[in-house]
Amino acid sequence: MYHTLLNSPVSAETQMLLPTVETMVGVLYFGLFAISFDFISGYTGYLSFGHAVFYGTGAYTVILIANGKLPLLGPGTPFMLSLLVGGLIAIALAILVGLVSFRLSGVYFAMITLGFAQVFYVFVRGWDYVATNPRDGPAVGPSHAEGFQIGAPGIDQLSLSIGVLTGDEVALLGSTLSGTEVSYYMIGLVVLVCYFAMQRVIHSPFGRVMIAVRENEERAVAIGYNTYLYKLGAFAISGFFAAVAGGLFAGFKRSASPENSFYFLVTGDALLASIIGGFGTLAGSLYGHLFDETVREFLSKAGQGGGLLPYLRALLGQETLDATLVGETTIGGLIDLLLNGHASLYVGLVFVLFVLYVPDGLLGTLRARVGGTFADALPAKLWGDSE
Amino acid sequence: MILEALAEFLTLGELGGVIVNGLAKSALYVMIASGLTLIFGLMGVLNFAHGSLTMVGAYLGGLLMVVTVTGGTAPITRLGLFFIAIVVVFALLTVLGGAIETTIIRPLYDRPPIYQILLTFGLTLVIEEIVRIVLGIYDLQPLSDWQAALATKPQFLREPVALGPVSAGWLSLFQILLGTITVVSIWAFLTKTRYGLYIRAGSEDTEMASALGIDVRQVFTVVFALGIGLAGAAGTLLMWDPTWGASVPLAAETLLPAFIVVIVGGLGTFRGTVVAALVVGMADAVTTWWFQNVIEFTGLPELVLFLVLVVTLIVRPQGLFGVEEVGGH
Amino acid sequence: MSLLELDGVHTYYGDSHILEGVDLSVEAGEVVALAGRNGVGKTTTLRTILQLTPPREGSITFRDESLVGLETHEVASRGVGWIPEDRRIFGQLTVEENLRAAIPDPDDVASGLQLAFDSFPILEERRGQDAGTLSGGQQQMLAIARGLVGDNDLLLVDEPSEGLAPQIVADVAEALSKASEDMTMLLVEQNLPLALDLADRFYILDKGRVVDDGDTAAVTADDERFRRYLSA
Repeated sequence: MYHTLLNSPVSAETQMLLPTVETMVGVLYFGLFAISFDFISGYTGYLSFGHAVFYGTGAYTVILIANGKLPLLGPGTPFMLSLLVGGLIAIALAILVGLVSFRLSGVYFAMITLGFAQVFYVFVRGWDYVATNPRDGPAVGPSHAEGFQIGAPGIDQLSLSIGVLTGDEVALLGSTLSGTEVSYYMIGLVVLVCYFAMQRVIHSPFGRVMIAVRENEERAVAIGYNTYLYKLGAFAISGFFAAVAGGLFAGFKRSASPENSFYFLVTGDALLASIIGGFGTLAGSLYGHLFDETVREFLSKAGQGGGLLPYLRALLGQETLDATLVGETTIGGLIDLLLNGHASLYVGLVFVLFVLYVPDGLLGTLRARVGGTFADALPAKLWGDSE
Repeated sequence: MILEALAEFLTLGELGGVIVNGLAKSALYVMIASGLTLIFGLMGVLNFAHGSLTMVGAYLGGLLMVVTVTGGTAPITRLGLFFIAIVVVFALLTVLGGAIETTIIRPLYDRPPIYQILLTFGLTLVIEEIVRIVLGIYDLQPLSDWQAALATKPQFLREPVALGPVSAGWLSLFQILLGTITVVSIWAFLTKTRYGLYIRAGSEDTEMASALGIDVRQVFTVVFALGIGLAGAAGTLLMWDPTWGASVPLAAETLLPAFIVVIVGGLGTFRGTVVAALVVGMADAVTTWWFQNVIEFTGLPELVLFLVLVVTLIVRPQGLFGVEEVGGH
Repeated sequence: MSLLELDGVHTYYGDSHILEGVDLSVEAGEVVALAGRNGVGKTTTLRTILQLTPPREGSITFRDESLVGLETHEVASRGVGWIPEDRRIFGQLTVEENLRAAIPDPDDVASGLQLAFDSFPILEERRGQDAGTLSGGQQQMLAIARGLVGDNDLLLVDEPSEGLAPQIVADVAEALSKASEDMTMLLVEQNLPLALDLADRFYILDKGRVVDDGDTAAVTADDERFRRYLSA
């Protein structure tokens, strides 16, 4: 699809507007992390500001297992099992952190989870067991040169490797899918399964209690629910999926650093995604992150994905670019200055505008428009209300 | 080995040095946290952009110093210029803070508090990128400390001074002085002026304060503006400290300790913030000594700060001086 | 024209309709009692006048000037004082600071404090003490004093005797009675004998509407008119 568009007459525009496949893989696994963040924060109202600790746990677990640094689990451990182990460790961690943190609420809850996450961040950054240079973080070593396989463990026919360089290539219906594209579909599969699992929980009686906690916790207590246990359970589930997301990230990238896994700004990105997408909509977080990444790549440097900058350069031509505006500044210089690598500025502005004017986010606002989830509303629109 | 280290730690010279360092760190912490605590105490807004504005203050202060100081400027003149720079930065950021409050914070008072966290978080992204763009124009490295600004510091502030058996840095003494001035000024403003009275009344019960004829919205604007001004002044002070320095990551580096100090002290109580800054500053200085002399673990001081936070929230969730309900909301 | 006049006032808390068209008026110099069971909207009426909970419909005029749409502090600075339920003194401020916060003009501080201390000598003894450490009765005195020093023409008084020992209630009643000599008051009070004793006229509120009114001189607390609306 992407290639078809690239070969079409609008190839320049395509390259400018659409993110690369590699970026899309990132959208998937980080989208899953954002969904898991929304699962706890958007549905119970408890802002898990230290959520990155679970993402980091998942990522580090996968790499440590691959490097043979986790007791009992050798480098040959199937990737799917590593994901599960990372998830289980995250559950244990979530319960420990949650036992203390859920005694608090509001701003205090957000801050104590942030505090815990920072403790772990500082800790892994200084712990030289995880990597030779813990500040840069661990990478998958030679003990695990092959790609991580997603699929049924032990059955090669049902598994495919992921990674930019290590991913399997697959011939399918006359065209060949590259390793990155295979990663996209395989990681997408895992993300989809996780999403449906969380969605099931939200729509179960358990999920209704979570929403009751958000709407009015005192009333939920008065009705007789032990909200403490429900919150703890929700936190553990959310931590599990955050760790799976981190594991996918590490499996695809084959390395992780404290900055891109345990750091609090990683949680910030998830927050960004769920607000833009729609707080408390689950799927919205993925769209929110897609939006975020699209804007970022659209405004980023040359890169393979193109973006606005190379497009403008090509469109305007060298002469226009060299034309001077004021004093020494050229048009090209100005474009460079305002666009080159400053996507965060525009993402931040969009975010601020969303908080101010679109507090329900993309999906939340759209759902309010059509009056329910799309799965419910679309058939009703198409075939008329049967009520 | 631990016992030997402990014996060394407890000698007058070492312990005295740690105490002076601790006080200097406390002074910095109280400066970066006091604006945050004033804003939270009155308005219930946890301002995530506080660190970014400290960073802006560091660059602005550095800019003022770099353009006014030349190689031949006498140390005493440099100090004088520095005080002027702090005042100017304070004034500029106070204006900026007022503008931020009236344009984008004000519409959010009727929403759940989470939206204020979200909005100010978005603000940090915007501010950081704007700073990066400006730094790009002048070819400055955003990630490393601005050396030209550090170089405007008079030579004697780099040198140690002997106080009896204790060896301390002039810079530490200078920081303690400025921290003390800040604390005393804020305390006097809060307790001795009519506006300070309105702020304290509003912090307890905004509704009742407005029913007494106090224009609480206006007080909100003023406090937010002053809080941002303080963040900027703190930044200017940090600009001269080689362990901090003017750089883009200064935003996150100051935001987290500021949160810790404010929460440990009890959200919104100025007295609590001062005491917490002392506790945290001392804990920082003590662990830094142990890290430098005994235990080789880089993250130790940072780790201890967060442990202080976690322990406080477990043992006394409302902080040392906090009351259960804050801000009268 | 009356000092204060409410005409068809409707107020909501979210979706719940609390005041369903309240009409009442208070003449200058009067003390008017607002009676009714719990939850019929007495406190909401006072909050609506102050624009703390602005009305969705109806008019509120004070000295022929509309209050609707003003900010609470603007209502207060037009001379409307509030002595709220639960007193709401600033517990971490001293007694004197509580009073200072209530005096709008800095030039009036000395005379205002004098007025408060003359009315309630106990407050002068405790002037440097944190108000949160005062007893319930003293806190009520402070709340009333705050209303007196605020350069007000109308005081909205909410449940001044609630939660106080009988002896203290007598003191509070005396203080209010003395204050009413040169102050107009709209008084919400559960203690009916006390309310009738202080007030010149009364309104009875039921389900967000005024259902009865009259002169207090003509009735006693066990009157049929009260029993119908006040007994649980």
